[in-house]
Amino acid sequence: MSENTPVSPWLDSTQKPYIQIENVTKKFGDFTAIDNLTLDIYKNEFFSLLGPSGCGKTTLLRMLAGFEKITDGKILLDGEDISEIPPHLRPINMMFQSYALFPHMTVEKNIAFGLKQDKMPENLINQRVEEMLELVELTDFAKRKPNQLSGGQSQRVALARSLAKRPKLLLLDEPLGALDKRLREQTQFELMDIQEKLKVTFVIVTHDQEEAMTVSSRIGVMDSGNLIQVATPAEIYEAPINKDVADFIGDVNLFKGIYKGQNEIGTQLLSDDSNSIVYATQKVDVAIGNQLWFALRPEKLEISKRLPKNEHNILKGTIEDIAYGGSFSTYHVKLENSTILKAIRANRERTKEHHLTWGDEVFLQWAPHSAVVLLS
Amino acid sequence: MNRKEIQIPNFLKKAFSGRNAVISIPYIWLLLLFLLPFIFVLKISLAEPILAIPPYTSFFKWGESWLPTIQGSLDSYLFLFSDSLYINAYLSSLKIAIISTILTLIIGYAIAYSVAKAPTRWRGILLMLVILPFWTSFLIRVYAWIGILKTEGLLNLALISIGIIDKPLTIMNTDLAVYIGIVYSYLPFMILPLYANLEKMDMSLLEAAADLGCRPFKTFWTVTIPLSLPGILAGCFLVFIPVMGEFVIPDLLGGTNTLMIGKVLWTEFFYNRDWPVASAVAIILLALLVVPIMLYQRAQEKAIS
Repeated sequence: MSENTPVSPWLDSTQKPYIQIENVTKKFGDFTAIDNLTLDIYKNEFFSLLGPSGCGKTTLLRMLAGFEKITDGKILLDGEDISEIPPHLRPINMMFQSYALFPHMTVEKNIAFGLKQDKMPENLINQRVEEMLELVELTDFAKRKPNQLSGGQSQRVALARSLAKRPKLLLLDEPLGALDKRLREQTQFELMDIQEKLKVTFVIVTHDQEEAMTVSSRIGVMDSGNLIQVATPAEIYEAPINKDVADFIGDVNLFKGIYKGQNEIGTQLLSDDSNSIVYATQKVDVAIGNQLWFALRPEKLEISKRLPKNEHNILKGTIEDIAYGGSFSTYHVKLENSTILKAIRANRERTKEHHLTWGDEVFLQWAPHSAVVLLS
Repeated sequence: MNRKEIQIPNFLKKAFSGRNAVISIPYIWLLLLFLLPFIFVLKISLAEPILAIPPYTSFFKWGESWLPTIQGSLDSYLFLFSDSLYINAYLSSLKIAIISTILTLIIGYAIAYSVAKAPTRWRGILLMLVILPFWTSFLIRVYAWIGILKTEGLLNLALISIGIIDKPLTIMNTDLAVYIGIVYSYLPFMILPLYANLEKMDMSLLEAAADLGCRPFKTFWTVTIPLSLPGILAGCFLVFIPVMGEFVIPDLLGGTNTLMIGKVLWTEFFYNRDWPVASAVAIILLALLVVPIMLYQRAQEKAIS
């Protein structure tokens, strides 16, 4: 982060947004892909648009690039309305999901392509191409054609090409989708390093929530053409605003029930699943008798064979399934009314003494502040 | 269970395996229908014309010795080079083939491109329209052009009635008529390979070019054209090669001044009954066409690698 950019510019009302998407609507015939969407993105942000396929995230990205015409509303970049500017005149570059490398050009020609369009002098082009090749560690591959590259190399060429023109904004459409898991994780960190080094604002589209959590400064969760929640990864994870977001990001246990008022422990919910009162610290402002949900992440549920000392938020069940994940295990616990809850426990012990196994009768327990109260 | 199996030698088993049998079909086809006739034509081109049936001297003469003596002469070939008619005919064919290939390419590219860019549900119909003329005989379609192009033909009548011209144009029996006929007849051969190529082109490449600041027109030249080169080459050779030897179109639409080697060959064969010279004309035409065919082959290999 540069000195004049605060860590969280979106919290600072004196900061001017870099990209302003104002009441943008996009219709394809009768179908509304983007529905009156407003979003501010700040300079040097690594912003992720996250959502299931068909939620409109790619359409929004393509409107930023200029490939889709806006039906209604406008987009401003650095204060300038770019809604009517054709893609080849926008100071925005995009890294395509398919990489879209020109198959008839070598790696260096691909990277130089954008610079040539700007009529940059030859020696400066060569210099910049070399710089970019170094950045993505592909100097030895300059003379190769795209079909002689591996997936990971192609991905880096595509990145170098889209960054070569030093765009004001870089758009990345599922940039790591075609890579295997290991390479993807490694590349996520590379992307973050490059973004910090070059100080370019990144907007990335992904359906991979882990990827979005790792790389982003903020995440915009989208569904059917709307932004549901815009927040930092931790906020999205720990304080989702509704059960769709909670469900989409990470694993979650949802308790449905009736609001029974507050007491000294917190919000009381008569849970449909356990037919008992469960508690959450978070307060709500609804009438008693309304339907509510508690969202509880699996790692916040404690699982044990012994009855916990606390008096509340205890559920009894049987271990139905165990997913061994090496560093942790996920237990599927079946309650008496056959609801299944997921609990994660770190595998701290190497020996089998404390191990839980299939069919064990266990108690699940959580601290009231671990649960999130959701109204919808 | 004491059945005795017939022993087939291994090499025979190998030779008659289903795989080899299938592979050998095109070879046998080429051998019987291409190489063998070619050898006959080559043999005739080395003979001398006589008044007999068939009207040429035999290539092998069986004498007293066991082996036949070979009686060949290069007279027919020398004759071709002694008369400027033949060289002019070759050059004129070359010129007509090149010009009409270029014209076909320009028109064909525009059509193929718009079909490839059309909405998916339209493509099938549009492609069908391109192929539709093949359902009518080629000869009839060329004849139909006479009706359009002749002095009191449809085109002149239409142009006069809307007042663009007041005297009919002379198109029939000129080179222009030949070009019209050739471009019309060979257009599908250009469109089909171009369409096949353009249709599978990754449209995100065009977006990538635009995204990197390339204007649409320049994108066409720097991305679309280079990537469709295999289609362009295939279309051009599919048009160029048959047009070189084209006979029907210049004969029906061209005038006496339209010189094409196909016409010369026909005249030598049917009119002068000089089979050896006609064969020599054909052999040299083939030799000339081997050059572009080889170039095409090399381009294809390059495209594959």
